[in-house]
Amino acid sequence: MYSEIEGISVKANSDSAPAVNTIPFDAERHPIVEVRNLNAWYGAQHVISDVSMKFKRNHVTAIIGPSGCGKSTLVRCINRLHELVPSSKLTGNVMLDGVDIYGKQIDVVDVRRRIGMVFQKPNPFPNMSIRDNVIAGWKLAGVRDKKRLDEIAKNALQQAFLWDEVRDKLPNSGASISGGQQQRLCIARALAVEPEVILMDEPCSALDPTATAKIEELISKLSENYTVIIVTHNMQQASRVADFTAFMYLGKLIEYDETPRMFENPKEELTERYITGKFG
Amino acid sequence: MPRLMDMGLDQLNSLLLDMATLSQQAVSASIDAYSLGSKGAEVRQMSNRLRALHRQVSDLSVEMIARYQPVASDLRFLKACMEISYGFFRYGRYALDITSVLEMFGNLSSCDKKFVVDTAKKTQEMIRMSVEAFAKRDLETARNLPKMDDVVDESYRRNLRTTIEKKGGDIKCALSATLILRYLERIADHASYIGESIEYIATGIEPKLD
Amino acid sequence: MNMRRILDRVWLGLAVAAVVAALAPLASIIYYVTVKGIAAISWNFLTHNFDQVGNNGGIANALEGTFLVVALASAIGVPIGLLAGVYISEYATGRSADVVRFLSDVLVGIPSIVTGILVYSAIVISFPTPFNGYTAFAAGVALGLMEIPIIANTTSESLRLVPNSLREASAALGIRKWRTIFLMMANCLGGIMTGILLATSRVAGETAPLLLTALGSTQPFQGWFNAVETMTLFIFQNGTSGTPNLVEQAWGASFVLLITVLGINIAIKLVTRRRIVFV
Repeated sequence: MYSEIEGISVKANSDSAPAVNTIPFDAERHPIVEVRNLNAWYGAQHVISDVSMKFKRNHVTAIIGPSGCGKSTLVRCINRLHELVPSSKLTGNVMLDGVDIYGKQIDVVDVRRRIGMVFQKPNPFPNMSIRDNVIAGWKLAGVRDKKRLDEIAKNALQQAFLWDEVRDKLPNSGASISGGQQQRLCIARALAVEPEVILMDEPCSALDPTATAKIEELISKLSENYTVIIVTHNMQQASRVADFTAFMYLGKLIEYDETPRMFENPKEELTERYITGKFG
Repeated sequence: MPRLMDMGLDQLNSLLLDMATLSQQAVSASIDAYSLGSKGAEVRQMSNRLRALHRQVSDLSVEMIARYQPVASDLRFLKACMEISYGFFRYGRYALDITSVLEMFGNLSSCDKKFVVDTAKKTQEMIRMSVEAFAKRDLETARNLPKMDDVVDESYRRNLRTTIEKKGGDIKCALSATLILRYLERIADHASYIGESIEYIATGIEPKLD
Repeated sequence: MNMRRILDRVWLGLAVAAVVAALAPLASIIYYVTVKGIAAISWNFLTHNFDQVGNNGGIANALEGTFLVVALASAIGVPIGLLAGVYISEYATGRSADVVRFLSDVLVGIPSIVTGILVYSAIVISFPTPFNGYTAFAAGVALGLMEIPIIANTTSESLRLVPNSLREASAALGIRKWRTIFLMMANCLGGIMTGILLATSRVAGETAPLLLTALGSTQPFQGWFNAVETMTLFIFQNGTSGTPNLVEQAWGASFVLLITVLGINIAIKLVTRRRIVFV
């Protein structure tokens, strides 16, 4: 059946054939996010071709691949940001805890609260203070209890390893801190709404190595309580941070395995050539 | 388009090939010294050179890992490089050990050297195979090495049993033969390890430990 | 000295001359109006209503009229203009966005007298009594219609300048679209305020549509459904009257209008310099 949601067509595919890309490792019995037969387009451009994969709960999964392989689009399909682009189209299913988030009954705002996102360039709201940035998700949903909001802000900033650095600057503008701190602020902002999954689209590309290292440590710590899916073009970062790594090329999922295995002995020739730098 | 680390990888490869040839020569020289009764003086120098080359290979491999963060086949190659160069170094070291036996025991012209020389030939064949398997990355040859190792092992043990059971005879001959066979057996072991490393580079699979 | 350096100097000279040519008329307007008008300014002038015969007349009713008519115009123009601007920037997609934007641009350029004629025929002569005839209401509607496209355009342009990354950040937090739009507007408040001030100051200075809707009056404000006097009408009627006293008053009114325009422009500068913090 087709349903028009905000100008895009979504087809629910209930009798799908087995995916071409089989999952090589023993699939987690309760994956938190599962993508089934996903295809996505921008206009006529087919950017994701029949991708199926399961993401393991409370682990870090990295998605690597050359520019244009569809990895950013894939995560944007997971938190339903893809459909905000006019002329975008999507078929297939994305399951969160077994429920299709593209289903007719689903409130997209609820999906986006349970699946948070951190972007490539830190984007704190410049017209808001640091504290207000962190609680933006609550405040802009109408919550007013100041004490509760302060607690939420402190908790989120602590989780993002930023509390000690900004505790005395909470009223300052969100844009007044350094790039690395801004990115951790964005992470705190995403954590404040208590998601289950955190998507990260090349979160360290705009940061210097020290800031990057801090965020990688943070990701590692976060995976104890959240499921993290990180898109990165930096393979070394994937090998440092991720428990599982998926390699995409030209919209297809080429290989998906535990990180040490993928980087020591990849199964696909294409993967081997990409990660050893022989192309891309 | 060549990558930054390709130059280093090529250098490692040629270092290993040099070690391969040198270690082959060292062992041949020591066996000839045994069978022909010569001194084999050049073996010491070869063994020292092999030790230096092994150090060089090891240093270069670690430098490549630190600088280039290699993965997949490159990483496996670097790990194997260090193991294989150790193997070639050990060939040279055992060749030296064989010549020191000759030095210690002096004149062995009265001994029956046939059994040892036959075993030595098999060992030298294994050395040759290990060198060829590395140079050509030949999996077929590499996989045959463990089988031949069993043969050499058996020769060593057989000699040991015979020596124990034999009463009397020249102790010098028996002891020198046993020692040299021991060293040949160790060389054969290393040759089969080299075979395993070559398989690992190509397939990423390491043999099960029994 | 070589050719290039000479050419450089020539270009510089031409540019400076052009600036002088552009600014000279403006400077002379300001000078002339000030010189001619300041003589008429007095407390009486500003607080008394128009007096045809006596010497004690003033622009109080004209000021009152301008203020009320522009207030009505803004009450119509600001909400509709803002919402239209939001629509153009945040909701329309692709083709339809281009069409609406184009139409809005055209509407800004429509001569004010045309708007005046439209309101004249739609309200002044067509509304049932007692709502017909020359009225402050019609004047307010006419000026409001003029404000709408100006405000719509400046609002949509300001919103477009807000980086998309902020929209994405807001959407990704699970914030509803309308709330996100408010947030975007808070981030370009300076631009939006500027647009509103510009539109207001523009319509405050219009004359043609008022000739067909407000007509003018010698009385103070008599209610929305009666004729009303405005500053621009005052200047028009008295400046051409030939009576020296009235002509002088017309200059005085021009001066006041000039000061008002100056004041609004200064307000715009202040608004765009201060960082508006939205908590």
